[in-house]
Amino acid sequence: MIFESTAKMYDVLGELFNELMKDQPLYQKFIDSDITIRFNISDPDGYIWLTRDGKVICGEADYKPTIEMTLSGDTCHKFWLQEIKMPVALAKGLIKAKGPLPKVLNLLPLIKPAYVIYPDIAKKHGIL
Amino acid sequence: MSYLELNLDLTDEQLMLRDNIRKFALEVMRPTAMKLDQMTPEEVIAPDSIFWDCMKQAYKLGLHKILIPEEYGGLGLSPIEVHMVVEEMGYGSSDIAIALGVSCFPAFLASMVPTDELINNIIVPYCEDTEAKIMGCWAITEPDHGSDSLAPGTAQFKDPNIYGQCRARLEGDEWVINGQKAAWVSMGTAATHAMVYLTIDPSMGFAGGGICLVPLDLPGVSRGKPLNKLGQRALNQGEIYFDNVRVPYEYMLVDQESYEAILDITLATANAYVAAVFTGVARSAYEEALNYARQRVQGGKPLVEHQHVRYKLFHMFKTVEACRALSRAAMVYNLSTSPPATEYSIASKVFCTDAAFQVAHEAIQIFGGNGLAKEYAIEKIFRDARAGMIEDGSNDSLALFASERLI
Ligand SMILES: Cc1cc2nc3c(=O)[nH]c(=O)nc-3n(C[C@H](O)[C@H](O)[C@H](O)COP(=O)(O)OP(=O)(O)OC[C@H]3O[C@@H](n4cnc5c(N)ncnc54)[C@H](O)[C@@H]3O)c2cc1C
Repeated sequence: MIFESTAKMYDVLGELFNELMKDQPLYQKFIDSDITIRFNISDPDGYIWLTRDGKVICGEADYKPTIEMTLSGDTCHKFWLQEIKMPVALAKGLIKAKGPLPKVLNLLPLIKPAYVIYPDIAKKHGIL
Repeated sequence: MSYLELNLDLTDEQLMLRDNIRKFALEVMRPTAMKLDQMTPEEVIAPDSIFWDCMKQAYKLGLHKILIPEEYGGLGLSPIEVHMVVEEMGYGSSDIAIALGVSCFPAFLASMVPTDELINNIIVPYCEDTEAKIMGCWAITEPDHGSDSLAPGTAQFKDPNIYGQCRARLEGDEWVINGQKAAWVSMGTAATHAMVYLTIDPSMGFAGGGICLVPLDLPGVSRGKPLNKLGQRALNQGEIYFDNVRVPYEYMLVDQESYEAILDITLATANAYVAAVFTGVARSAYEEALNYARQRVQGGKPLVEHQHVRYKLFHMFKTVEACRALSRAAMVYNLSTSPPATEYSIASKVFCTDAAFQVAHEAIQIFGGNGLAKEYAIEKIFRDARAGMIEDGSNDSLALFASERLI
């Protein structure tokens, strides 16, 4: 298990998403897409929310998600390191998505900046 | 004619969207398809054919990009809106609705794995096209493999003795493709791009496949003669041949590692689309029969006043409503859930295409001799409905394959 605890996972992934939301064009695109995403993470268990008003929340929260992505902490880590591709993750059942397909597909281009910054964040937290 | 909308949650905008597409379906798609139906397959796709006028109008309305996300200029419709629009298109003409459906295949699949190259050279130009200059197709079946190629999740799909003949091998940073796709590839004759489902690793059987986006102007691509067939004649079909066709590495969107799962998603989406189209076909057959029965007088009164005719009309009505209920539910679920519950899309495809044929068959009976005459739309609708039971997978095989998921 790459994240030794839920707290550690929130530190790393929380930083990733907060950094992304600081990117003005990306933030604007996210706001325009008018969606709330909930990542349901296992091993370690936890939730991360990206809310339609641009907030990043780690843990339980009272929002209605438009999209839910269910995956493990290890899959998260590998995904942001580009060690696992989306079709393969879907094929192997590593990522399960719930939410209108066009909205899910809309998000894919937003993922790119995360690929760029994640390795440094992972290194900083001693997991790479 | 409209139907009573049973979903009370739909907004005025959604209902307006449906009504606009219905108008286009009735005023443009159906009359165009009726004329094309009388032409030879070569005439249907000739440069001056009315097919292209209709496609241009459809592209201007954005009907070629209903599944593509807004991010790239697609319509980004919600799953229920996709169903409403596709049902109306099928109501106008199943053949043109299918042509528009296959057209978006390359851009739709590319939007699942969007690289800058694919976004800039494939998805965005397709979304910006209002002249029907860019048209996709889905090339999966082969002369020797029809049902075989549409059986993900079954034991036969992994049998190393059964694999597709159209092959790709990696040479440096290019894929080299050789082989042939079936005469049944919809728009294979005229498409500019193909989503080719082919074999990479035959030792894995069909599961060792890949999905490659192939621009059809590449050296080594050639086409067969347009196919002459019974129904859906406005939908042109023909072989595509690949002779050492070299494709950039990243155009292989999916390789053998995830082929079976992505084919499953493809089938879940395509079968749901076809089910919505044939809900529209069933509705068109029912309405043709109802309108005719209101006017035709026998035994001194309109046919609708004969109890037996009314009884038949009721069962046709009931069937159309059941088609909509099942196909909407399956589409909404499967366009909102990944991995999808493909057996529901298959159930809706099999149910709606069987039902459309049955309703069209009853409609012809209500028309009497006139039902067999070319001047009445029902004659074409009946032939179109027959083709629906084979396209996108023969209903028998689909049912058998899906049944494996139930046990
Ligand atoms: C209008 C139309 C549009 C089409 N569009 C496209 C397209 O865009 N792209 C494309 O690639 N193809 C397309 N097709 C091809 C279509 O997918 C095939 O026709 C279909 O999958 C059936 O394959 P087949 O015709 O080779 O029949 P076969 O596979 O030879 O089947 C013949 C019969 O045998 C039965 N059968 C086959 N295998 C089994 C089994 N394992 N167990 C029991 N029974 C079995 C079938 O159910 C069927 O009744 C289209 C076809 C039509 C009619």
